Order: sequence, then structure tokens, then C-alpha cells
Amino acid sequence: MSNNSSAELHGIIAEYHTVEEILAAAETVREAGYTRWDCHTPMPVHGLDRAMGVRETRLPWVVLIAGLTGGGLGVLMQWWMNAIDYNYRISGKPDWSLPANIPVAFETTVLFAAFAAFFAMWIANGLPRWFNPLSRNARFARATDDRFFVAIQASDPMFDQDATAAMLSSSGAHAVETVEEPDETSRPPAVFRGAVWSLVSLAMLPLFLVAMARYNTSDKPRVHLVPDMDFAKRIKAQAVSDLFADGRGTRPPVAGTFALEDMEAVGADPAYYTGKLGDSFVTDFPLEVTPELMQRGQERFGIYCAVCHGDDGRGKGMVAQRAAVLSPATWVAPTDLHTQPVVDLASGQLFDSISNGVRNMPGYSSQISYQDRWAIVLYTRALQRSQAASAQDIPEGVNLR
Amino acid sequence: MNPVNVNREPVLAPDLAARVSRVGLVLAVLGLGAGFALGAAEGDNLRHFFWAYLVGFAFFFTFTLGGLFFVLVQHVTGAKWSVSVRRMGEFAMNTVPALGIMAIPLLYPLLTNAGREEFGGLLWPWVQPHGEHADLVAMKEPFLNVPFFIGRMVFYLLVWWLMARFFMKRSLQQDTDRDPAYAPTIAMRKLSAPGIIVFALTLSFASFDWLMSTAPEWFSTIFGVYIFAGCVLTIHAWLVISSVFLQKQGYMKKEVNAEHYHDLGKFMTAFTVFWAYIAFSQFMLIWYANLPEETGFFHSRTTEAWKTMSYLLIVTNFFVPFFGFLSRHVKRKPKMLAMWAVYVLIVHWLDLYWLVMPSMSPESNPFGLIEVATTIGAFGLFLWAFARQGVRHSVLAYGDPKLGDCLAHENY
Repeated sequence: MSNNSSAELHGIIAEYHTVEEILAAAETVREAGYTRWDCHTPMPVHGLDRAMGVRETRLPWVVLIAGLTGGGLGVLMQWWMNAIDYNYRISGKPDWSLPANIPVAFETTVLFAAFAAFFAMWIANGLPRWFNPLSRNARFARATDDRFFVAIQASDPMFDQDATAAMLSSSGAHAVETVEEPDETSRPPAVFRGAVWSLVSLAMLPLFLVAMARYNTSDKPRVHLVPDMDFAKRIKAQAVSDLFADGRGTRPPVAGTFALEDMEAVGADPAYYTGKLGDSFVTDFPLEVTPELMQRGQERFGIYCAVCHGDDGRGKGMVAQRAAVLSPATWVAPTDLHTQPVVDLASGQLFDSISNGVRNMPGYSSQISYQDRWAIVLYTRALQRSQAASAQDIPEGVNLR
Repeated sequence: MNPVNVNREPVLAPDLAARVSRVGLVLAVLGLGAGFALGAAEGDNLRHFFWAYLVGFAFFFTFTLGGLFFVLVQHVTGAKWSVSVRRMGEFAMNTVPALGIMAIPLLYPLLTNAGREEFGGLLWPWVQPHGEHADLVAMKEPFLNVPFFIGRMVFYLLVWWLMARFFMKRSLQQDTDRDPAYAPTIAMRKLSAPGIIVFALTLSFASFDWLMSTAPEWFSTIFGVYIFAGCVLTIHAWLVISSVFLQKQGYMKKEVNAEHYHDLGKFMTAFTVFWAYIAFSQFMLIWYANLPEETGFFHSRTTEAWKTMSYLLIVTNFFVPFFGFLSRHVKRKPKMLAMWAVYVLIVHWLDLYWLVMPSMSPESNPFGLIEVATTIGAFGLFLWAFARQGVRHSVLAYGDPKLGDCLAHENY
């Protein structure tokens, strides 16, 4: 194009017409020892990498390391959440359970690997860049259509305008041209950069709002995104309702309804099924006490009771801790099972509390079988005993540390 | 590079194929014979032998079905890269008749009363439900009953045989007819899509029937996919091994190159991950829900005798192969990849062993010569049926219209 020598030189391009020509030219340029140059072709050309002597990409290593990092961080994050920060027991499984972590760790592995591949490609290709000076050359436009180009940059240590041009001509080029650095900068324009930064800042906004909400109190009612779900149209127990002619919200059992329990069995062994004999609670266990029953009780206690009462039964379970923070005014703390009144309760009354609930605690008769409820009572007794132990209780031959 | 000029000539290796098939036959006779003798010597009414036989049968079955899937998926996608190795996949899929022969002895545990009283059948406990969950298993009788089971068995084998025949015949026809309109290839492409659906259903149900029903009180809908993962892994490993072997003997030197090995290796890597993904998907839901009717399968495999092997499988079947041939350098070195392919076949067999055997013996790992012998026998039978086809047919689908593209194929 122009030979305006005042403009700074970007490089030299040479045009070829066929795949064979560009492959031969690439080998010539490689053998001449140039390092800062490239080939531009309208379609992928087999063997061009070899002809150019392109070094193997290190991208796979970046992706591998990022993937392993992502997987490791994924597990670490869940370990911290589940075992340290909020160790909420779920269906009796260990606080930190590797199988439960694998799906998330898998996702973080893929996420890190994909981002690393994407952004490492940017860096390796010198992006983001608004344009390549070559794209300002009219002849070069055919690189996307039907012409093949070799472009050698002026910054190449071997570069010499005349010698390089001569070398390219002798390599079979149909045309050789110099390309000047354009006057404009190849950085993205200020508007574009401004837009990107505004978007990034805006994307931070929700995070700031969340952070702010977490550390502030407000007397405005909270925003309900799904009011139907937050305020379900239901009739509370014992409340009046005009839906029914008699105005009663709670419906009496339909005629012919019968209890799920086998009333005959309950009648035959009321101590086992109700914890009561007549009007008084039983103090003995109405079933055989075995190590297996104790173990079962420990497991069930961990599943059903520990979330509120805590593993040690002192009423400091994760639910209790969180509820005390979230709604201190209305939350009734779970009972410390080691207070004297609870220790003094008859076993039958503990059984009754588990079955039918007490104060704010709901009944668990629909979830826990009769035998398991007794197992929990048994374990609670052992727990109480363990917390009220003295030095004399330690068997001979056991060393205290 | 530019498309390679294809001189459409058959690659014939009848002598080599005859030799290999003889080796296969000898292995089959010796292996199955030794397995039977060892089994008879155990004096347990052939119970151990039949379980080991089922593992061998399953091993064979994954080669055949892997081959069928390979051929179907190449046609359904119109793949170019695989043309030069596809004929070997066709040989593998066309071993259905031999698989059928191997299925015949499985009728014995279905039809005889021997040993039923003690164990509830020699092999499939639902034949005569017994023990703790007998009433539960008995409820599955409408599906799990002997006549229907045998009917299904015949049906699966018949469907696979018809499919294998269809694709084999058309592929050979494409070679010899030199039809410029490529009618046989177009016919194969048309049938491959419905063929995939039939394949998926028959493979799933065959897996349910033959393998999952060894523990009839247990069920897992993903089980068929699990077996499928093993099938695909197996066939790609097998194609690597066969190609390297043929090239070492001086055949297909140009027709299979690093690019094709690279692609076969990619599928091996991909399906190693897929296997782990499916295995974990199956495990995690059962572990999380912890429902008594589902956990039995994993309970017997993650406690006591089988615990070590279960944990070991995660390492041998996922971590070792995944990092072993993740790198493209490994995939592009045929001999190294072939070694990994052999490794894959071995651990795939371990996987099948682990799937089947704990149902026979939850308390102890009965691993012994009897499993090794029957598996070598089953593999020998496959090898015989596989190689025998090379006696009559070209090992290269030289008439395939995409052969030129295949030879010019290059990974970037």
C-alpha cells in the first residue's frame, strides 16, 4: 500500500494462493530462523503447525492444574461448611461425608478448568485487543476468503525490511507488502472499556446488597418474592373458618375412621405403647435392654434429636443455635436434658414426650417406631448418667488422662 | 493434508486370522474345560462354576455389544475418522452366534432343580425364591419367571444377530459392489438411528435380566447404562489392541495411524470418566436416600469381605486409567496405548466380577483359578468368533465412501 516511511512499520505480509505454497513458505520462514511471525489461512490447513515449527501448547497443563485446584477447593469449601461452620447432621450421616461432596467438587473442577482454559487462551493470544494492525490492510482481507498469508512482525530480532521482503519474494509469494502501525491504538476504545467496567461494577451490586442486608436491621417487612408460598391459604388448627357450614376449621374425623395403632395390642401392653400404666408413667423399660438397643438409640438420637438438643443433650444443637439468633423473641429453647427435673422424669414420660411432643416440640410418633422411641429413651438415660458421673464410676484399670 | 489417494484394495489376512482363531478355540476349550473341572471338583453342585461362567459370559457380551454400538454410532453420526477400524468393530459385533452358544449352558441353572433348595437356585435366586426376602422376590414373578426369561434371552440374541447380520452384510456389499450410489452405506445409515434405540433397550433389559437379577430383591434403573459404559470402553480398547496387533504383523500399516489411535484413546478416556460418573450416580442416590430395599447391593459390597475391592475399584478403574492416558502423547503412541487398552480390559473384567460375585458370596471373596479359567475360556470363544471372520473378509472396509477422509484425518 503506501510507502509512507514516517509511519512506524508493523511488519511484512506475503500472499500465497495454494495450500502447497503456504506450507513451503512456512518452512522457508521457519528455517530462516524467524520467531515473531504467523500464517493466516481461510481454513484449517493440515500440517501447518509442523511446517511452522509451532511449539506444543502448554494449555493442557494450565487446565489440569486449575481442574485439580477447583476439585480440591470444592472439597475444602464443603468440609469447612459442613464440619466447621454449620455442622448440621443430616439423617444420621457424618457431619462431613465425602460422597455428598463429590457432585459439587465435580462442578468446581469443571468450572475452574473451563475458566482457566478460556482465560489462559486470552492471555496466550494477547487478548483483549480491539484489532490486529493486519486487519487494516486491504489485501489481507482475503485471508478470510481464498488467500493464504505469511506475516512477519517488525519486532522480530531477525527483521530487516529489505532482506525479509526479498526472502518472502523468493519463497514464491505472489505479492509482498509492508504494513504500517495504524495511528489509532489497538486498545479497546474508552467507551467499550467503560461499558465493561460498568457491567462488572453492576454485577457486584447484588453482592453488596446481600452483605449490607446481613449486617443491618430494618423495620420494614421483608420482601416476599413468592407470596403464595410464604402465605399459603390454610386454616390453622382450632381456628374459625367460614368455608364450612358449622364454622369449625378443624374437621372431625370422617365416620368410620379408625386409629392406625392396633388398639388390641395397645390395650394388651399399654406400658410399651403409651409409656403409661393406668394414669402413671412407667419407670421400668417395658422391653429387653440390650447393647444393640442402646446403639440403635444412639443412632436415632443423632438423627432425630441432636439437631435441637445437641449431641450432648444440653440443648445446644444447630437448630437451637440458629433459631436463637434469627428469632430470639419467639424461640423457646429446647430443654437441657441434664437438668434435675428432666433426670427425675419417669422413663414413660420421656417416651410420652417423644411420642406426643411437649411445649414447642412436636410429637414424633409418626416418624419413629415404638421400639426406636424406647431406644432413644434408653440412650437419653445413658447420656444423663454419663454427664453426672464421678471419679468413682470409672472402672478399675482404666487410666484417666 | 489433501485427501489421500485411496487404492481401494482389500486388506486380506486369512492365514493370520486362521491362526488367531485357532488360538481362540484352544483357549476356549482349555479355559472352559478347566473351569468346569475346577468347578466340579469344588463339590458345590457347580454353583461356583456357574457364577464364574456368568462373569465370563458378561465379559464376552460386552465385547459383542460394544462392537454393535460402535458400528451403529459410526453410521448414525456419519463418522469419518473411524472407517479404517470399523471392520474390526463389525467383526466384534458379528460374534452374536458364538455368544448364543455360550448362553446355552445358562439354561441349566434355569431348568434344573439341582442345588436349589440350599441357595435358591444355582445362579438366579428368583428361580426359586428363598430366604429373608422370598415373598418380595416372589412378587416379581410376572417378569422374573423361567419361560419368559428364556424367551427374552432368545429375543435379545435374535435381535442382535439380525442387526449384526444386516450391518455386516451391507458393509461387505459396499466393498465388493463398488456401487457409486453407495446404496448399502445409505441403507446402514437409515437403520442405524432406530437401531440405536433398539440397542439401548435390549442392552438395558439384558443387563437387568442376566446380571441385576442375580440379586433379585435389588433394583437400579441406571444399571443398563453402567453396563453400556463398560461395553463402549471395552470395544475401543479392543480396537486399539487389534489394530496394534495387525500392524505388528504387517497389515494396515498406513490405514491406521496416530490420529486414529488418538481418537480411540479419547473415547477410552471419555468412557473411563463416563463409567465413573454412572457408577457414582448409581451409588450416591442409594447412599443418600438410605432406603432398606435399595442399600442391600452396596451394603454387601462396602462392608467386610468386599470393602477393600470396592475402594480399590475406584482407583483401578478411574484414577489410574484417567491420569494414565489423559495425555495426548500416550494416546498417540500405539504400543503404549495398547498396554493401557489391555489394562482397561482387565479392570473392566474386575468390575464385572465385582458386580456379580458378591451376590453369590457376600461374606467372602471367592476369587480363584475357576474365575480366571472361565474368563479366559469366554474370551477365547470371542476371539475365535472374532478372528474367524478375518479368514473370509477384508479387515478393512475398503469400499466405504469415507475411507479417503478417514486416511486424511488429522487431530489438531
